Amino acid sequence: MIYLDSAATTLQKPPTVALASARAINNLSSPGRGGYKAAMSAAETALACREEAAALFHVPDPERVVFTFNATHGLNIAIKSLVKPGDRVVISGYEHNAVTRPLHAIPDIELCVVRAPLFDQEAMLAAFRQELDRGADVAVCNQVSNVFGAVLPVEGIAALCRDRGIPLIVDASQAAGVVPVDFEELGAAFIAMPGHKGLYGPQGTGLLLCGSGPSRPILEGGTGSSSINQTMPEFLPDRLEAGTHNIAGIAGLLEGLRYVRRRGLNDIRAYENGLIQKLREGLEPIPSIQVYGSDRPENQTGVLSFRVSEMDCETVAEKLGDLGFALRAGLHCAPFAHETAGTLDTGTVRASVSVFNTEQEIQQLLSALQKI
Amino acid sequence: MFYDLILCRSLTYAQRTANALGRVGIWTRIVRTPRSISPSGCGYSVRVPRGSLPAAIKMLEQVGLPVKAAYFANGLGGYEEVEL
Repeated sequence: MIYLDSAATTLQKPPTVALASARAINNLSSPGRGGYKAAMSAAETALACREEAAALFHVPDPERVVFTFNATHGLNIAIKSLVKPGDRVVISGYEHNAVTRPLHAIPDIELCVVRAPLFDQEAMLAAFRQELDRGADVAVCNQVSNVFGAVLPVEGIAALCRDRGIPLIVDASQAAGVVPVDFEELGAAFIAMPGHKGLYGPQGTGLLLCGSGPSRPILEGGTGSSSINQTMPEFLPDRLEAGTHNIAGIAGLLEGLRYVRRRGLNDIRAYENGLIQKLREGLEPIPSIQVYGSDRPENQTGVLSFRVSEMDCETVAEKLGDLGFALRAGLHCAPFAHETAGTLDTGTVRASVSVFNTEQEIQQLLSALQKI
Repeated sequence: MFYDLILCRSLTYAQRTANALGRVGIWTRIVRTPRSISPSGCGYSVRVPRGSLPAAIKMLEQVGLPVKAAYFANGLGGYEEVEL
């Protein structure tokens, strides 16, 4: 199989990830649940993971790195901490259901969707400025579209929010491990990300980077601290980490983070961009294929959507699947993004790469697409 | 062995405290906070050798990890709160 669905989950991981998870299953118990060696070793692994993430994402204090099950979990915490019924919330037109569904569940919010053409960062920034100037209680923005790999001008949007005192939640699901995510520079209230995509950790892991503002737990339970009290601790990370940790996942995520730091974001970005640009250049001459790509590499990551005329996107993905290619088709849990790009009625086929894909695999995909 | 205990609000805080002290050569060990001196229940403390506490408190203040409570262990199973 040639795997090209890394925007959902990176399947190929550095070998150390599985080794660390297996070692954790066999040797580590649970952080904060005892003073014996297996518990303390687990605690050391958890702290090492927080510190590695804090270094990669420029978080001043590792206690503000909270473990979650995935980005959706983190986004739910962030949104439910900040958004109240009746609030006016500004979001980009490229958000995932992990953002829009939690917002939809809050009564009476006024949702303002900022739309701009694909890959047009200036237009997106101008549209955000216009909407934020009308007033907002909270803003939410993804850094990279999960459907199109389009990089949004999150630094500029963060500056607009800071100037207006509007708390910003960043969905870094497609950005973490691929483009710089600078917590201190952005000054966001929360940044959520999964562990299992660009950070090469196991499924069931995620990180929520927390600012100094209030946070509201969406799970209550044991934390191994302040056990007399029937309310959740006020301090992080315990406040947002009820229940036993996924220490096997965290151990794997630690190795994924170390891999990303060792390899370097510049190298990862350049390599993935190179692959996706080759795919774009190979697809564009095919008359029956409509490609959603940018010829400016800084505007796109290793994700590319396309459509084949007169063929349902699911049929294309199925045919490719029969030929041994793993690509995802449909709406990719992001109807707002498809609506913004004008692909809601058809959906798209999405190819997304990781550092473990090769140029040869891209050439094989192009050959296969010419046949179907 | 006589030692002092620095009480910490969380395990993560205790780990950061121990690491900070370790970096300046102060021996530490993270232990469960004895129930008798843990007003809110479960928690973790950092054990430091007797005599190290004043330097530890000063150093931790400087690195943004202030000590909120500390105890002497009297060697007989009892603890006496240190006035900070």
